[in-house]
Amino acid sequence: MTLIELKNLKRHYEMSSETVKALDGIDLKIEEGERVILLGPSGSGKTTLLNCISALDIPTDGSYIFGGKTVPRDKSEQMTTFRRENIGYVFQFFNLLQDLTVLENILLIQELSGEKDQDRAINLLKLVGLEDEIDRFPAEISGGQQQRVAIARSIAKKPKLLLGDELTGNLDSETSTKVMNTLVSACESEKITAIFVTHDESLIQFATRVIRIDSGKIISDEKVS
Amino acid sequence: MSMLLTKRLMRSLWRTKLRLFAVVMMVTIGVFAGISFGMYANVITDMYDETYLDDEDGVNLPDIWIKNPVGNWNQTTSDSLCKLIEEEWSSNTLKLENCESRLILSGLMYHANESMSAIWHGIDEGNIDRVWFPKHDCCSGRLAESADEIVIDYHVAKGLEIQLNDTVSLIAGHGKVDYNVVGIGLHSNHFYFAEPGSIIPAEAGTFATGYLSAEGLEKLANVSSGTSNTILVDIKGTPSYNLLSTDKNEGPELESIIQNLTLSLGNLEDISVIIHDRSGQESVEFLRADVEGAKKTYPYVTGMIVVIAGVTIFLSLQRLIQSQAKEIAVLRTLGIPRASIMQGYIIAPLVIGGFGSLIGVLLGWYVGGPGMLGFYEEIIGLPILLDTASSSIIFENVIIAMIIVFFSGIRPAWQASRLQPLEVFRGKNEIRISSRSIQKLTAKLPATLGLTIRSSIRKPIRLAFTFFALGLSMVLFGTMLMMMGSMEDIFSPNDGYDAQIFIPPDGEEEIINWANTNNVEYELLLQYPGTPQGDNRQFLIYGLDKIETKESQLSMMGIDLKDGELPIISSEVFQVLIDEGTVEFLDWNIGDQETIMLGSTQLKVEISGITKGEMQRTIYFHRADLSQIVGINTTSVLLSSSEDITIDSELEELSIGITTTEDLRKSMDTIMEQQQGILYSMNALGLLMAFAVLFNTLVMNIAERDFELSTLRVLGAPINKLGVMLLGEHLFIGFIGGIIACFASLFMANLMIESFVQWAFYFTIEPTFSQIITIGGIVVGMAIALTPLGMWRIYKMNLIEKIKDISQ
Ligand SMILES: Nc1ncnc2c1ncn2[C@@H]1O[C@H](COP(=O)(O)OP(=O)(O)OP(=O)(O)O)[C@@H](O)[C@H]1O
Ligand SMILES: [Mg+2]
Repeated sequence: MTLIELKNLKRHYEMSSETVKALDGIDLKIEEGERVILLGPSGSGKTTLLNCISALDIPTDGSYIFGGKTVPRDKSEQMTTFRRENIGYVFQFFNLLQDLTVLENILLIQELSGEKDQDRAINLLKLVGLEDEIDRFPAEISGGQQQRVAIARSIAKKPKLLLGDELTGNLDSETSTKVMNTLVSACESEKITAIFVTHDESLIQFATRVIRIDSGKIISDEKVS
Repeated sequence: MSMLLTKRLMRSLWRTKLRLFAVVMMVTIGVFAGISFGMYANVITDMYDETYLDDEDGVNLPDIWIKNPVGNWNQTTSDSLCKLIEEEWSSNTLKLENCESRLILSGLMYHANESMSAIWHGIDEGNIDRVWFPKHDCCSGRLAESADEIVIDYHVAKGLEIQLNDTVSLIAGHGKVDYNVVGIGLHSNHFYFAEPGSIIPAEAGTFATGYLSAEGLEKLANVSSGTSNTILVDIKGTPSYNLLSTDKNEGPELESIIQNLTLSLGNLEDISVIIHDRSGQESVEFLRADVEGAKKTYPYVTGMIVVIAGVTIFLSLQRLIQSQAKEIAVLRTLGIPRASIMQGYIIAPLVIGGFGSLIGVLLGWYVGGPGMLGFYEEIIGLPILLDTASSSIIFENVIIAMIIVFFSGIRPAWQASRLQPLEVFRGKNEIRISSRSIQKLTAKLPATLGLTIRSSIRKPIRLAFTFFALGLSMVLFGTMLMMMGSMEDIFSPNDGYDAQIFIPPDGEEEIINWANTNNVEYELLLQYPGTPQGDNRQFLIYGLDKIETKESQLSMMGIDLKDGELPIISSEVFQVLIDEGTVEFLDWNIGDQETIMLGSTQLKVEISGITKGEMQRTIYFHRADLSQIVGINTTSVLLSSSEDITIDSELEELSIGITTTEDLRKSMDTIMEQQQGILYSMNALGLLMAFAVLFNTLVMNIAERDFELSTLRVLGAPINKLGVMLLGEHLFIGFIGGIIACFASLFMANLMIESFVQWAFYFTIEPTFSQIITIGGIVVGMAIALTPLGMWRIYKMNLIEKIKDISQ
């Protein structure tokens, strides 16, 4: 089933002298269960695309249908609700709440989205291999471990789509591999579709599809196994 | 290089405009309050000092008053008293300059069909304590010379619109006589214009004073020429006297003269005297207390406000440095010297302080100070004759403000320059309370609640300083609130009777007859002055027909019994009640037997109980007991009726002064109304500052967590749930802040009162439950009110920008 359908999606920035076309007519369909990697040079529009997909940013033009429904784009609370119900987000710099323990970081998101489930939280931490660290504070675990907590957190509320912008950008290659493996198994066991932005070509091995963009346009789109 | 750094700092400060504004405003308020107060204190001090001087422009205040508490002396007696004083003069250092006798009587005045109580002075040329015509448009005309002339006090003339050449009718117990107004002036006994025994300025039309020639007053009172009841003694220069408000004795020399005179005059047959110095002169003492109060309060209030401003600046700068820690660390890594980094953080507070001071100076000098003086003119009714506020108060205040501002910037600046780049990059530069122990305490709570609590207390230093500044700002409000409450209690007139009729000696029979014919209830009251033995501070001594508590409503002048028992009439040693102020100042207690002086008579009394609520030091006797000692039956009659009492001319002619409770209440309302303006603005000032402090901290708390909050927003946290978290945090801070504010107010109010109270003005603070709730509730309310602001900030957060911040 199609999860995402973008038609002629545009995001333009009106500057004083020129118009920056960060996204310039993107047509894209993503099926449920796909793991997409977005590649492209700096400034090509990857982050902008991700922000539009997560309903953080508002497209200038074009249509965006998610799970058969048009995504809201004018009411900020509706956009927030859309994110809460559908999107998981993993950041480059983990962004865990320093005042909460590993487990509490996950419980917090569950509480805020109104479905607290401690067993699931613990299971997710097992899934990412952190069952021994659940009572530690973020400052007390390594960067790779923090990123795995962030992954567990982002899927704690059962999103349909998981997004990551340079999520391994801050990790060494060994840790990157470990994190990506965790991610892949989490996505598979939870049946979550995923889109990752990266500069790192070696991550292609974790994807089912690779899309390259440049100057706000898709220049190649291929399936990998 | 450092220019650019400074510029960058200014820009980042500018980005937090609202908080910057709050900080500048606090400095402004501090300097403003300091200058307004300072100008006020300065001018009234100078006025107080100069007015009483023995020179062309001054009034030459007497140094010793000798009063006859029972009646009048004839010319021969007063002459011989002055002679005796000269002979018995016991000091070599203090030279007797002058001894003058005066007749001062209470009575009534009629103007435009209204009658009012009055005090009449018979003053001829008057070397000491003359009628004062300062060079000011308050006063005009000349002294009364012939027997049908009078000078009317400025307060009265202004209130009743009396002009030169008007006619007024006077009574002093012997029928009505008309007088021609030849002057409008002031007299030192009535600068502060209140009825005797009252501290509330008299409402226009309820009280009058006038200054007749000696002959004129003798005619009014129907007494022989040279009759007097007061002897004024002037000493060369201005000898210091024992101030009631201090523990030490400033005027031992003068005091020993008074002791001596009390002894030698007291030994005379048929002579009873009360002798006191300036401290026993209500009006003089009140003005002095006011001056002293202003001088004392001024540094406190200003200091407090400036400290609050300092704390806020300190917190803001610290937050600024913390948010710039990474940048500073990068600069340090690149080898920028400490000094260049510190510079900006020292200049910033100075610029803030300088700007705030400038506005404060302008407002204080041109608006606040003149406003306060105008207010003084209005309430005290004394024209401000001098314009001597020196510009040194500007420098004083600005310098104090700048020093505090500078020091509040020093530490953050030092911190900035000491930042260790490596620690910053590792994120270890923030002081945090041990997360572990709090985590344990809050582990059982939902994560949202746990986070609320942890983020509330994660910055213990900021929180502590916030509570400190909040407490101080609320002190202004809370203290005023409590003082207003207790003042209202103390000033509110007695409800037990409707009118007090003062009578000439043995005049009570006629009043009783009047009361019986008019169906009005009455009680007799004997008021007599007295002092502790060997001490010239005065008591107000009451002889009551029935000594009963207020609640029992059995007596028109009920008392508020704090401790002990009501006195038993005709005990072997007369039993009395004393007020709690007397207990405080003399250390007398229940069961003690103490000796008091009633005029020249010594009397041992036993204290059976203690009352509260009296401003002056008071002793209550059974009237029968007291009158047995002093030989007077009654000095006034209290009247009470369920219907309104009409004071007819018959009653007026029988009396030498009438005070109605209604008039007192009117005066009370007027002063409260006038005071309200200034009290409300003080209150508003305190609230404004408390709000600014809370605002500053809570906004900083949120700004600091922009990062966390935006993460949660990206992950889809709904605004209302974040709002609840924020509300919880604000409630927590508000609640603790409220409690601290209550305690701080209570503490300060007591401290202030302790420094204000003295023999003649004593009061305590008993905070009511509703006051406590008000103070605490306001803080909690403000904290809650700031929640929507925080929510709005979160709501408006530009997530895309934040994400960029986050991932770079
Ligand atoms: N707020 C903005 N205002 C104007 N132009 C912007 C803004 N944000 C992004 N752009 C422009 O949009 C284009 C796409 O930016 P985007 O952040 O999507 O690039 P990116 O592919 O994520 O690059 P990188 O790999 O460096 O992160 C760039 O040319 C950028 O300059
Ligand atoms: Mg990008």
